[in-house]
Amino acid sequence: MIPSPPTPRPRRRPGLRRALEWVFAGGTGALAVLSALVFVAILAVMVHNSYPTILHYGPGFITGTVWDPVTDVYTGAYPFILGTLVTSAIALLLGVPISLGIAIFLSERVRGWIATTAAAGVELLAAIPSVVYGLWAFVVLVPFMRTSVEPALHTWLGGVPGLGTLFPATHSGTDVLTAGIILSVMLIPTVSAVSRESMAQVPGAQREAALALGATHWETTRTAVLPYARTGILGAIILGLGRALGETMAVLMTIGNSDAVPTSLFSQGQSIASAIANEFTNASPKEASALVEAAVLLMGITVLVNVIARLMVRGLFRAPEVRA
Amino acid sequence: MPGTVSIRRRVTDWTTYVLCLACVVFAIGILVIIVSSSVQHALPAFQGSGVGLFTRAEPLPCSYAPGGIPCNDFGGIEPVLEGTFYLMVLASAIAIPIGVLAGVFLSEYGRNPLGRTLSFLVDVLAGVPSIVVGLFIFSVVLWWQPTIVYSVISGGLALAVIMLPVVVRTTEESLKLVPQSTREAALALGIPRYRSILQIILPNGAGALVTGALLAVARAGGESAPLLLLELQPRIGFTGWTHSIVPIPLLVYLWGFTEPNANWQADAWAAAVTLIGIMLALSLCARFLLKRRLPGSGM
Amino acid sequence: MSTPDREMVQKPKGSNTGMWAAVAVVLIVIVVVVVGFEAGWFGKSSTNNNGTTPPPGPCTVPSGQSITGAGSTFVYPLMYTWETDYTASSVTYSSVGSGTGISDLASKTVDFAASDAPLSPAQQATDPNVVEMPESAGAVTIIYNLPGVPTLKFNGTVLADIYLGTITNWNSTQMQTLNPGVHLPDQSIVVVHRSDGSGTSFAFTEYLSAESSTWKSTVSYATSVVWPTGTGEKGNGGVSGYVQQTEYTIGYVDLEYALANGISYGSVLNPAGNYVLPSLNSTANAIKDFTGTLPAATDAKDWYNVTIENEPGAQDYPISTFTYLMSYQEMSTLGSSFTSQQADALISFWNWTIHTGQSYSGQLYYVPLPQNIVTSDEAELSAFTFNGAAVSHC
Repeated sequence: MIPSPPTPRPRRRPGLRRALEWVFAGGTGALAVLSALVFVAILAVMVHNSYPTILHYGPGFITGTVWDPVTDVYTGAYPFILGTLVTSAIALLLGVPISLGIAIFLSERVRGWIATTAAAGVELLAAIPSVVYGLWAFVVLVPFMRTSVEPALHTWLGGVPGLGTLFPATHSGTDVLTAGIILSVMLIPTVSAVSRESMAQVPGAQREAALALGATHWETTRTAVLPYARTGILGAIILGLGRALGETMAVLMTIGNSDAVPTSLFSQGQSIASAIANEFTNASPKEASALVEAAVLLMGITVLVNVIARLMVRGLFRAPEVRA
Repeated sequence: MPGTVSIRRRVTDWTTYVLCLACVVFAIGILVIIVSSSVQHALPAFQGSGVGLFTRAEPLPCSYAPGGIPCNDFGGIEPVLEGTFYLMVLASAIAIPIGVLAGVFLSEYGRNPLGRTLSFLVDVLAGVPSIVVGLFIFSVVLWWQPTIVYSVISGGLALAVIMLPVVVRTTEESLKLVPQSTREAALALGIPRYRSILQIILPNGAGALVTGALLAVARAGGESAPLLLLELQPRIGFTGWTHSIVPIPLLVYLWGFTEPNANWQADAWAAAVTLIGIMLALSLCARFLLKRRLPGSGM
Repeated sequence: MSTPDREMVQKPKGSNTGMWAAVAVVLIVIVVVVVGFEAGWFGKSSTNNNGTTPPPGPCTVPSGQSITGAGSTFVYPLMYTWETDYTASSVTYSSVGSGTGISDLASKTVDFAASDAPLSPAQQATDPNVVEMPESAGAVTIIYNLPGVPTLKFNGTVLADIYLGTITNWNSTQMQTLNPGVHLPDQSIVVVHRSDGSGTSFAFTEYLSAESSTWKSTVSYATSVVWPTGTGEKGNGGVSGYVQQTEYTIGYVDLEYALANGISYGSVLNPAGNYVLPSLNSTANAIKDFTGTLPAATDAKDWYNVTIENEPGAQDYPISTFTYLMSYQEMSTLGSSFTSQQADALISFWNWTIHTGQSYSGQLYYVPLPQNIVTSDEAELSAFTFNGAAVSHC
């Protein structure tokens, strides 16, 4: 005779257990839905608050250049959009090459404790809060730019036709160039760390194959690693761009806070984020509505950039053809 | 002849090595410059107040004009340490429970298109600039209860929104790493699903959860942009949940950027150094937890 | 295995709808709880004595009231002294700039605002029920950072041109003509203005508009303008800090900030032809020589056209300005949590500032109000009502 299976120990009544299951699933589910809805709520509230401006100016808001608190007319956020784009462009131009250099060095050219320590050092840059970057830039970088860098730039490049208008004679140190520079420093830890990760994903076999064919270290990197990791690196750059677009404190302390359209690298300006920080609390209802629409634009661009970046970084690393 | 590399290629190799090294030196150099610069600017405050910097309240407004309070006192930054504490406690109390439970749901029950959409939306939230979060909370609280627009509550809500995606993401990722066999084994033993999650799977991922919480706190602790909109500076110190408050990063801005007095500026630098120290400590803790490979932290 | 376990393991697809229904139910429960929490917790925002009646006899301010205000950084040193020394109620003043103060009053997040800029016609139209009352006056001082250079002379045209960006160098002919014999450095002028909504900016740009038709037509005057050139800093504190730390800067702040921080400031040409330094006396003279009409107490709202700038007296400082306290005439407009005791406390505080409070002004270089302004203010105070009844005050 087959022995009967051991009697299961007494359980809660099935109805109660099922109820608890539903409560747990339902409760956590509700919180997950809540978390997901926060973004939707932000978007909804922002659009609702800027609806008058959206209706009134339509897509022209992106190119409208008048932001005049005196007459209470705000035809567009172009000054702030330009400020945002220029500072982010400078940040990428200066920060990406340095970040890539760091990533290549730490992932391809050194090993062991040097790599780990140096990597830790670069990551420490990420631990510095943005307000400290801003204060340091305000107290140390701005005077340095005003007294040393900007006069030099004006002297060397001021005479170049076309390009020279970017470097006029008046320079105060607080301008879009300085804001771009501090942003580039803030980008470095993010872009270099994510690029390093992408490069680390490249199979060792690729490197070995290139080395076996007689390539130097640099040629190995150039032909075997970088093409393979290029999607991830591009994603890293775009992630860095996302950070630069949304940065408020460091920009606010270095960009000079002017509502006029910046016309040169030494012009004062505002980014969308710094404009919101500076003007929202003392804004008339019309200005508040216009600022919120600018915020919607900023949010839209930043979210799009971040989503693309994450897709690229997390995406499948297709093996490209390795060119010998 | 096999084995020889042309001079040109060797030079290129060497040049790129040097350039990349220069980039690393630059980054480390900037780090050293910023930290040492901050310490140097903060020295007068540390020398002037010593340990009192962390226990005393802010100095009285002083004046170099005759008849005013003389400017020889550095006071302290204790009120903002208090402020940071209350603000972070509120923000964590909101964000961590919600975030962990949401992450649990997404990992355990959400492996379907709907769950993936929710997860995606939470990721999107992580990309929203912090100043926009501040704007959102300002608008909502203004509509709901205008008198608490400038308060610990609204500041805490804004920081909680910033912390939430970090907590959800790390919880979800770490729980997903728990092998499916563990879940199946638990169910095979007759353990109800909710109990298996609470008593078996969560403890397995506990290390990463703590790391996630630390990272979230580090992220929110350094934020000052949303608080520019949500706190009625320059009142500092905790006077009630419905009153304005100033945490450390906001003080660095207020006393470093909007205050002409040199002593108060030195205090701002001291606050900045303290903040860097706290961020470093949190980073190191998180790193340490990852390295030690506490259960579930295998990332 | 018993049936419930098998169901748990298999998780049939059809049960998903049930799960989402559970989610909806839990969400509704959370919302109901939160609403109840809020109704219970936020019923009353401050301590109040709704149940007790004040004792008869000499005028007493209802005890334990707290009132909040925000606004001007220009008057902050004085406000700070007042709120510290006034013990009848707990007054909390936040120095965030006149523009923000006015916004906060409009959204009723504070009980009163302090602003060096009177409400513009547009703002009066949006909030017609706001009373403005001057509680002090001060001098908008031109500060600069030029090591080794003695006190400089300025006039309105030159200041306007500097802030327009037409004059860019310290040793320009215009500056040199005004200051013969002074060695001015060959350096670009670093112009500093305000980045936030500022009553100090209002007073300064109002002066520039009167002195320069170019300024009036291109920039005009308000709490925030589109500055043609220069860096924006936050608050009187930010401007004075930046000027103090940075060489070759020029800025405009209240006199107390210049004196308290040891920053150089210059004299300005007045209509009588004299170069006058900002001081207690020169601003007091400007108020004395004010010949315009003050708004009547019954219409104590429109101070927009009252200005004490460019007064004709020989020793009048030309960039003097009043600074105003503002709140709603019908005080219940401040919201359901604002009580009549708080209204009493607020008006009593204002009454104290224009009487006892004036004795604190001089040491901080703010001008004590002359008697005619005090009388006008007292009449305005009696115009405040709470739910229609006059607010009693001490």
